[in-house]
Amino acid sequence: MLPKLKQILHKADADYADIRYEIKKDTFITLDGKELSNIGSTTTDGYVIRVLKNGGFTSVSFTKEEDAEKALKTAQENAILIGNNIEKPVKLAEVPVIQDTFIPTLKEDPRNISIQEKLELLRHYNDIPLAHDKIAMTNMRYFEMIREKYFISSEGAEIHEDLITTGIGGSIISKEGNLTQNVRVGAGGSDGFYTVRDLDDKFEQRTQIAIDLLKAEPVKAGAYNCILNQGLAGVFAHEAFGHFSEADIVESLPAMRKKMQIGNKLGNDVLSIIDNATMPNQLGFYKYDDEGVAVREVKLLINGVLAGRLHSRRTAQEFVEPISGHCVAEDYRFAPIIRMSTIYIEPREKTLEQLMAELGDGLYILDPKGGQTSGENFTFGAQYGYVVKNGKKYRMIRDINISGNLYQTLQDITAVANDLKLSKTGGCGKGQTNIRSCHGAPHILVKNVVLGGI
Amino acid sequence: MEKLLDMARKVCDQAEIYFCDPTSSEVMFQKGELHDIESQFQSGMALRIIKNGKLGFSYTKNLINREEFLQNALDSLKGGVQALYDFPHTSELPALKTYNQHINEVTSSSMVENCTHIADIFLQNTDAEIELVAYKEVLNLRIINSQGTDLHSKIGSVGYWLGLVYPGGGAGISRVYEEKIPFSISRNILDNLVKMYNDSSKVVTIPGGKMKVLFMPGSMYTLLWRLHSGTSAKSIYEDISPIKNDIGKQIVSEAVNFYDDPLDAEVSAARSFDDEGVPTKKMNIIEKGVLKNFFYDLNYAKKLGAQSTGHGYRSSMWGGDTITMKPGPRLQHPRIEPGEKSFEELVSMMDKGIILDGVMGAHSGNIPNGDYSVGVSPGLYVEKGEIVGRVKDVMVAGNVYDTLKKVVAIENKLHTCWGGRMPAILFDSISVSSK
Repeated sequence: MLPKLKQILHKADADYADIRYEIKKDTFITLDGKELSNIGSTTTDGYVIRVLKNGGFTSVSFTKEEDAEKALKTAQENAILIGNNIEKPVKLAEVPVIQDTFIPTLKEDPRNISIQEKLELLRHYNDIPLAHDKIAMTNMRYFEMIREKYFISSEGAEIHEDLITTGIGGSIISKEGNLTQNVRVGAGGSDGFYTVRDLDDKFEQRTQIAIDLLKAEPVKAGAYNCILNQGLAGVFAHEAFGHFSEADIVESLPAMRKKMQIGNKLGNDVLSIIDNATMPNQLGFYKYDDEGVAVREVKLLINGVLAGRLHSRRTAQEFVEPISGHCVAEDYRFAPIIRMSTIYIEPREKTLEQLMAELGDGLYILDPKGGQTSGENFTFGAQYGYVVKNGKKYRMIRDINISGNLYQTLQDITAVANDLKLSKTGGCGKGQTNIRSCHGAPHILVKNVVLGGI
Repeated sequence: MEKLLDMARKVCDQAEIYFCDPTSSEVMFQKGELHDIESQFQSGMALRIIKNGKLGFSYTKNLINREEFLQNALDSLKGGVQALYDFPHTSELPALKTYNQHINEVTSSSMVENCTHIADIFLQNTDAEIELVAYKEVLNLRIINSQGTDLHSKIGSVGYWLGLVYPGGGAGISRVYEEKIPFSISRNILDNLVKMYNDSSKVVTIPGGKMKVLFMPGSMYTLLWRLHSGTSAKSIYEDISPIKNDIGKQIVSEAVNFYDDPLDAEVSAARSFDDEGVPTKKMNIIEKGVLKNFFYDLNYAKKLGAQSTGHGYRSSMWGGDTITMKPGPRLQHPRIEPGEKSFEELVSMMDKGIILDGVMGAHSGNIPNGDYSVGVSPGLYVEKGEIVGRVKDVMVAGNVYDTLKKVVAIENKLHTCWGGRMPAILFDSISVSSK
């Protein structure tokens, strides 16, 4: 593959150019209730060319090899157009030129397991909730995405890396009268099929939560002190803080950039946040990003002080900060953008029981249900929760959506527990979807959280 | 494509090929300055086959090897996905003007020029952080099947997304404009946006409680997603719609007429056939508050003993590559019928309340049940009919079927927005929570 890409890139008339070619193999199985609604395996492929010329940096994606020249020409024209319309020419941070092939080691390669066995496993899990009367519906899917990526640059980089993601997940919907409730269930990872085995207990637990939610009370709107469990606190690390560690987002918001200077004290002393794709056996793992840069651990926040940022080559140069290897694309349709890999809140010494005692009266809210940020404001949902009185869990609550301000909330996180957990499924939709977006945290205590109720 | 269809026909009962080739360019401005231009030349093909009541499916970006492509679909038959429906025989559809060759006059340069002009006006008149996107897309869509259907549509659209972001806040006033021909945005529209931004620049603190909330078109997808879930044939079949048994019943305010209008040639996305080749038509879903229809694709129509209403589309809540998705019931052209009040009149009807110009978190919450609980992004605060500032850390929550009973008035025009074309709607007594 690499010689063919070199031929294309050779024709580029530019200060810098790179090309990425990807073959993507998807295997998918979907069950809606008992019914199989989708099953198959398919391969697609495509190219992305990026060009730096005349101080302008731009990209074109295409699917047919014969479109390569047209794509190059378009990219060159657009780069010139950009260069003529911006004051400060784009430069890319210098990086080591890498030539490497990286194929991850898998524990049980999903490609060696028949689709029939995958279907049987999915059916087995799916039957767990469906055995209960109050479960009206399930939407469950098995997915496997294999990205075979080839990258070369005019600087001489030549990299082939494979990313193999496996997962099982979906929703369990309970119903009584006209009331429906749903919970999510899921697992998976980047290092083999074993990540979707032995999930019976998990499916049982999630089913029981879906049933219990039918009797739970809607939470009353208002401000509460809350303990967030690991899944939910991880979403906070991702949504509320993480996106503002992405240099391309901060870059577009000058007032925010001013507040987000390295060295600024932003959060409570107990709070440290790290992004680390290099840890093995977790969902967010990769070796090189989609501009050929080796990813490294970045300490983003240390004891409440901003310590680092996630970069592309362009933003590292613009911010005069070290490169980090976080410029990642969804697939062959897209130029890469800055993404978190595995972002997590560093654990401290306290136990959950100690946090509950510190909370006294408030709410214990659990498991994420989607989140979104807009500047310094964020919102995300919790799947369920409990009223806490005097440090003890009482009745179950539902319809929990929280909203807050990044800076205020970083101050309001007053305690962090010792029980770090990383997510097994992910999905971040910053323009492109990143199914490997992984987050984690221990339990955290947050003061004065706004809940919307219904 | 014809050759592939012939090959497929020989080995299965029915076959369908869907082809799509979007070419697009997107110009992005950040901080009022040109930031990036991205272009795409994509194409792809999806094959569905039916044999002995089972469905086979495959897709490709490059049709290099027909045998292999067909074999992938044949292999997936073994999965045993049921397909009891027939592909339609469709011909003689109304010609919709979805493509105008003048769109070729739109170039990256002209988009940069237009955005520069807009950015200059915003920069001169506000302290906002300016984000702009201009885009152009042209695509050919073709569907052929073994029943003799051969449909083609060429679609061209050009559009602008304008964002005036409050410094430091991230939230801002934003609007989408889309046409089939080159256009520029009028000075009057730009001035109105500037005024709205400037009027709302002061942050005000309010107590929570029940109050009037004006959902702007850009926030309407919050309600739309929930109505979509409640009226989709998939939810009816899965028995998770709270309004499953309510056809013919008054479910929301009489003021609400909710319909789907694929033939609305005002917009480039107009379609005379869906992604399964079924003819489309204008269809009322809620008429004067009474639930009239659910919407069906071929698959769920068959399962429920109904006819497809022409709503089988290859799309999802989050977009995605159409060829990789199988058709499912989707409302692609939803509208709520405009009322009689202008935007200014709606604002003047608010003693106190929030203009919900945008939302965060519409995708979380219990969508099947119709519940929503969203962060304001932004929320403009109105007192005595005047915008006095904007609120932060505030959430607006409710249930779509309850909210739609509380209509005070509906704006007198439709705006292109995410998910369809909508008017602004003023509701009374909506729950607002705050610190």
